[in-house]
Amino acid sequence: MEITLVTRDGERLRFPIAQSDVLAGAEAAGYFLPAMCHEGTCGQCQARVAKGSYEMGKHDPAMLPKSDPAAVLLCRCIPKEDLTVELPYNRAQVLHQKVPVRKAAITAMQPAWEGAVSLTLRLEPDAETGSAAEFAPGQYMELTPPGTDIRRAYSLANLPNWEGLLEFIIRIHKGGAFSTWLAEQAKVGDIMTVRGPLGAFVLDEMSTRPRCFVGGGCGLAPILSMLRHMGEFQDSNAVHLIFGANRECEIPPPAELESLRATLPQLNMSLAVVQPDEEWDGFHGTAPAALRQHLADSTEPVDVYACGPPRMLEVIEDLLRQRGRGDRLIAERI
Amino acid sequence: MFCYQCEQTTRAESGSGCATAKGVCGKDETTADLQDLLIYQLKGIGQYSMRLHALGKPDAAADAFVRHAMFTTLTNVNFSRARFVEMIAEAAKVRDRLRDAYEAATPGTPRLGGPAAFVPAAALPDLLQQANIASVRAGLDLVGEDVVGLRALVLYGLKGVAAYAHHADVLGQSRDEVGAGIAHALDLLASDPADIGVLLEESLALGRLNFKVMELLDAANTGTYGIPAPTQVRTTPVAGKAILVSGHDLLDLQRVLEAVKGTSINVYTHGELLPAHSYPNLRACPNLAGNYGSAWQNQQLEFAAFPGPIVMTSNCLIEPQPSYRNRIFTSGPVGWPGVRHIADGNFAQVVQAANALPGFAETAPEKTILVGFGRNAVLSVAGQVIEAVKSGAVKHFFLIGGCDGAAPGRNYYTDFAEKAPKDTVLLTLGCGKFRFNMEDHGDIGGIPRLLDVGQCNDSYSAIQIALALANAFQCGVNELPLSLVVSWFEQKAAAVLLTLLALGVRNVRLGPSLPAFLTPALIGVLVEKFGVQPITTAEADIAASLARSAA
Repeated sequence: MEITLVTRDGERLRFPIAQSDVLAGAEAAGYFLPAMCHEGTCGQCQARVAKGSYEMGKHDPAMLPKSDPAAVLLCRCIPKEDLTVELPYNRAQVLHQKVPVRKAAITAMQPAWEGAVSLTLRLEPDAETGSAAEFAPGQYMELTPPGTDIRRAYSLANLPNWEGLLEFIIRIHKGGAFSTWLAEQAKVGDIMTVRGPLGAFVLDEMSTRPRCFVGGGCGLAPILSMLRHMGEFQDSNAVHLIFGANRECEIPPPAELESLRATLPQLNMSLAVVQPDEEWDGFHGTAPAALRQHLADSTEPVDVYACGPPRMLEVIEDLLRQRGRGDRLIAERI
Repeated sequence: MFCYQCEQTTRAESGSGCATAKGVCGKDETTADLQDLLIYQLKGIGQYSMRLHALGKPDAAADAFVRHAMFTTLTNVNFSRARFVEMIAEAAKVRDRLRDAYEAATPGTPRLGGPAAFVPAAALPDLLQQANIASVRAGLDLVGEDVVGLRALVLYGLKGVAAYAHHADVLGQSRDEVGAGIAHALDLLASDPADIGVLLEESLALGRLNFKVMELLDAANTGTYGIPAPTQVRTTPVAGKAILVSGHDLLDLQRVLEAVKGTSINVYTHGELLPAHSYPNLRACPNLAGNYGSAWQNQQLEFAAFPGPIVMTSNCLIEPQPSYRNRIFTSGPVGWPGVRHIADGNFAQVVQAANALPGFAETAPEKTILVGFGRNAVLSVAGQVIEAVKSGAVKHFFLIGGCDGAAPGRNYYTDFAEKAPKDTVLLTLGCGKFRFNMEDHGDIGGIPRLLDVGQCNDSYSAIQIALALANAFQCGVNELPLSLVVSWFEQKAAAVLLTLLALGVRNVRLGPSLPAFLTPALIGVLVEKFGVQPITTAEADIAASLARSAA
């Protein structure tokens, strides 16, 4: 059997496949597609089968949009005949090499905003990869605390750099294994294992459309990285940021957001709070509702970059479909 | 979008050219349209500049801007629409300055129309709405394919001239007559010329201008870095931190070498920078370690495997892969969205990147190739060469030069070098040499059979060698036992071809395919009037060349 992968920018990648899921078959052929759990639960390897029949192994149905019966998770998609699969990202996001696994030391830990910790690591130099922090803004790394087999994915909030620094914003979940370790045991100097960079939630820099970033909580981290990147490269695309929170105290400090404007003067922002105090003068409601309002007056197609829970992404997807302007949703589930 | 300026453009029975959302080279529709608009503005600048030159009031800064701006539109140079938006705004200011100067010098003259009067929109969507006026095929319905094709030949040849002139500029060599010649061609294009005779004459005038530009570039290179001499260049890595410099720009290479001075970082050349090793002032830098990789079309694999930062100083850039996107830098006219650009010649962050990246872990067994047979080196043994021809030891010279590319048809050049009889000498230049330069071609009585003349930028050197041999044999270049086998890809090759035609060099074998912008009628003119020959097979073309020589 043969698999044909069609990337968003129209490139076709073909490879033979025997008794395996499409993701494993692609890796055997040297194509490393964005994926995380390999167990049908994270939704990272979502794609769409345009042609051919297949079986889906055990997976979490919540990770597939109900609106598209052809959507699959490639790690659970077993072909029964030749398949043509549409990938929701460009050829450039398909890697040809295995994901690096490296060591990194904690250099700083501090509260970011309520319920969130800012964690900074510095990569340990090694002969194979050196000491540079190389990634595409929007990508994530998998972190494993020392002496554990806990593996959690967190998006990078900073920019690629030659000092080897990796910055994350980590939301503390009570009782969560990683959160507990971070809150109770982690200290500066601890050596963690980091696997990455991973993920296809990256800017389409060839697009001239206005960009709208939608995120809430730690979903801001990859968006911060992308906005900082746009600032560094003096990107001239129109750009709007919608940050959603349940309460005002979950909003990042104004200085954090204002510093973005210093390098990205065209940046506009909407802060959406679901349960604000009485004197709140920002948007009252969810991030998707703020997006609806933001797009209400625009007829131009927009690239929406959204990072958040599956439910939020579904609402945004529906919203863009109803709008009917040919908008694109580039999304990361958390 | 419509673009058919390079050899790899989409070919179809219904009409050739890249006309979809993205060209074969990776240039998207927006960037292509912005490039067209910029060229349109440059025609407007040319209208004023030509008149100011005639008045003896040239604007040297405007001429330099035109050369640089044209260079950015060559194939595989700049894909950054942000940079084109900036340049379009800058071009409007330059045009205004020239208009003011011209109107001040000629009071009462009516304001010029056409591209000179174009007002670019401020916002990108509006700008793109204006792009139709600037299409390379504008006016097709009025003038037909032949005229549009000839206008394209003039424009693309002009781009090549501008690129070579820019390389000379950065080394401080420029002449008013170059600015005047470029302005003349731009002014002609601004008038929507429809006379085939006029366009053909302008093509040849550009060929002559290009010969002067290449002479200027030769003087710039040799004046700054010394006379190239035969040099063994290491082609295998040495253990240690590493920087790779690609493209053609010797000044950027020099600046990188200065930035690593006193460190143990090894600097490698890539692609068309291979001949840099033959210049004494560059070779003397202890950090210049060797050459890595091959021609431009293999860069995605070679750059991914290179364990250090990469600097792309001119064409040919193709889409940087994620695995090296953070560690590739552009300089000069080059650009890619989201790739770091060094505009000020300060390569400190490249050095920082080299220190952070692993470098080569091991030293590979040494392998070398021989470069540095520019005109001085070849002509210094002219007596020996002439004797070898007279004695029959050397039967024929083949100049196999030009660009490389990904098309399978380019195996022709490998076959040609392999199958050329052992009593023939192969001269080469450009990156097409990577098809055969790693092989041992032997020697004839101590003269290496493969003589690497240099970059495509060194075509002047090759022409000087041919002219000197013709002088020695007291014949014309066309009577020499010499055949030119030229591979083209981008617009500098178009300029060199025009130079060869203008010099009356006949029987140039051109491949791997003929330019898509030339109609069958125009190709007919090239074949009949200038003896240009499309390539066939290596065996047949070698046999035909030798038969002509014997006759």
